[in-house]
Amino acid sequence: MKLSAKLTLFITGSKLVIALVFVTALPILVKEIASNYTNYTLKQQRKKILTIVKKNGLDYYLQGEQNYGSYTLLKEEFIAFLQVDSKLKLDTIKNSQRLIEGDTLNYRVLSYTFSNNHKNYLLEVGKTTTSIDQYNKALQRFALYGLVMLIVLTALIDLIFIRTMIKPLATIIRARLSQKQFPFLLKQKPVKTSTTDFKYLDESLTSLLSQINEAFFKEREFTSNASHELMTPISILQNKMENFLAEEGLDEKQAISVVEMMKTVDRLKKITSSLLLISRIENEQYVKKEQVKPLQLFEEILDDLKYRLEEKNISLSMSISKDDLILDVNRDLMFQLFFNLVHNAIKFNTQNGSISIEGSKMRDGRYQIQIHDSGIGIPEADLPFIFDRFMKTNLNSQVGYGLGLAIVKSITTYHHIELSVDSELDKGTTFTLVFS
Amino acid sequence: MKVLIVEDEKMLAYEMEAFLKKNFYVCDLAHSFKSGIAQLDTNRYDFVLIDLSLPDGDGLEVLKYAKKANPEAAYIIITARTHLKDRVSGLDLGADDYLAKPFYLLELQSRMQAISRRKFNIKEELISIGDFQVDLQKRLVLCGGESIELSRKEFDLLSYLLLHKNRVLTRAQLSEHIWGTFVNDDYDSNYIDAHIKNIRKKLNSSANTTWLETVRGVGYRINK
Repeated sequence: MKLSAKLTLFITGSKLVIALVFVTALPILVKEIASNYTNYTLKQQRKKILTIVKKNGLDYYLQGEQNYGSYTLLKEEFIAFLQVDSKLKLDTIKNSQRLIEGDTLNYRVLSYTFSNNHKNYLLEVGKTTTSIDQYNKALQRFALYGLVMLIVLTALIDLIFIRTMIKPLATIIRARLSQKQFPFLLKQKPVKTSTTDFKYLDESLTSLLSQINEAFFKEREFTSNASHELMTPISILQNKMENFLAEEGLDEKQAISVVEMMKTVDRLKKITSSLLLISRIENEQYVKKEQVKPLQLFEEILDDLKYRLEEKNISLSMSISKDDLILDVNRDLMFQLFFNLVHNAIKFNTQNGSISIEGSKMRDGRYQIQIHDSGIGIPEADLPFIFDRFMKTNLNSQVGYGLGLAIVKSITTYHHIELSVDSELDKGTTFTLVFS
Repeated sequence: MKVLIVEDEKMLAYEMEAFLKKNFYVCDLAHSFKSGIAQLDTNRYDFVLIDLSLPDGDGLEVLKYAKKANPEAAYIIITARTHLKDRVSGLDLGADDYLAKPFYLLELQSRMQAISRRKFNIKEELISIGDFQVDLQKRLVLCGGESIELSRKEFDLLSYLLLHKNRVLTRAQLSEHIWGTFVNDDYDSNYIDAHIKNIRKKLNSSANTTWLETVRGVGYRINK
């Protein structure tokens, strides 16, 4: 889910929860507030009455009677004075029922005892509870409607605001991170935003990417320079040994050990030239303008490697049409690519194994070549690493230092050829090349 | 034959000199752009071997200058710079061949011989060995008028041994010749042995091949 949607959803949700809690709690709240307010009013009324009593004497109310009672027209409120036992002491406010003219009604009643002329009197001031509760439902409904409308409105505003606020983030992701292939292009201007966090993020990403770029170019440069620098000393060693071997008076033992040394230098030379080849491909020093017939290349390669097929008695089936054509490639690199794959298919094959090479049109019209062998296969754990330089798979003594597949990888990357590998241990391996 | 070696790596230049002297060439050395030009001003050469990266100038400039000063010489560019454009511009400027470092001196000699054959228009006679005749131009091996079919690499191998007869060639030297600069990281492969085995098998059905000798632990030699 996108960040803006998530944020809007979360904000709206939390608002709803708060509003619901509020609406549910509203009756209790209203009741509480109303009862507090009623208590306050009742106390005020008591104060008023007592002031009148003080000023005018109780008889102002009693008019010579022992008790006094008065209520409003609809019996919502009443006042009463009662002469009570002198021991009774009351100062309470509570709900209770009163019977007034045949109607039993619920009242909030303030009871207060006081003495007047050595007699104990009870003052009761009452207010019906229905009159307290009457606005509750209406209030709740009104609050609910009002809040829902407010939530919808604020959610809409939030959505619009979040969208605009988060926009720079989307721009950063698109401009900086959606490009997956080295080297990153860093030509774009800084993303426009007034949010400091985004600014910081954008700057950090740009600087990190340029650091990666720099490291990447440095590594390329290093490989290229190192391989070049190694070539001269290797040349000297190789030629010195060659001259030494040609010297007369060398006995067999000496000659053999010189040859052994030459072999080692030769190996060094091959590693170095492999690295150099990879670095030259990565530095795009090859022209990709030729067209090749894959069948021709494979026939040439198989002619060179025929003896190896015979050695292992490997059966070969090839189905590539002689009209198949691959455009805009470098012929030498294509030769190298196919050679390495076929060579691998032989090298990792078993005695009496088989190899098949197939060229076909895929459904989407692209051309694909599959090279399948019935060899020892690649363990699943090794698969992600087989194209790495100097990766040793299978821990098999006949396995080289794995630059062959690194070369394959760099050639396919350079030519935008899709490369994939399927392998099952002890069953075989299939390399698939898809040409765009 | 007189050779000028323009190479700033002295050790390498000495090895080339030692090798060529042994093969009856007369060598002059120049370790810089300047001394190379100076040598070209005073001497005439049959071969000029030029390293492209010199400390005080571009080898291609030496080549340009030499082509004017000594137009009849043959030029071989020797370099660790293997950029395609260097190779192309070298050959465009009139170099006869191009060798990438590191190379076997034997390969250098072969290239020089090939240039000589081309330059002096030496008609390739059939080279005979044992009961066989080898036609280098038509790439044929004949025995009693019958041609024997060899693969491309097998023929390359046989003719290379033949051109350097009476001399032990190591497997590495042979493989460099037949594979050139092609990168093949299969170090311990015995493909030279396999090719030789095939050559022997194919030729033996016509006549014996005792002239093709295996030198234990070292390589192969054709005795004549």
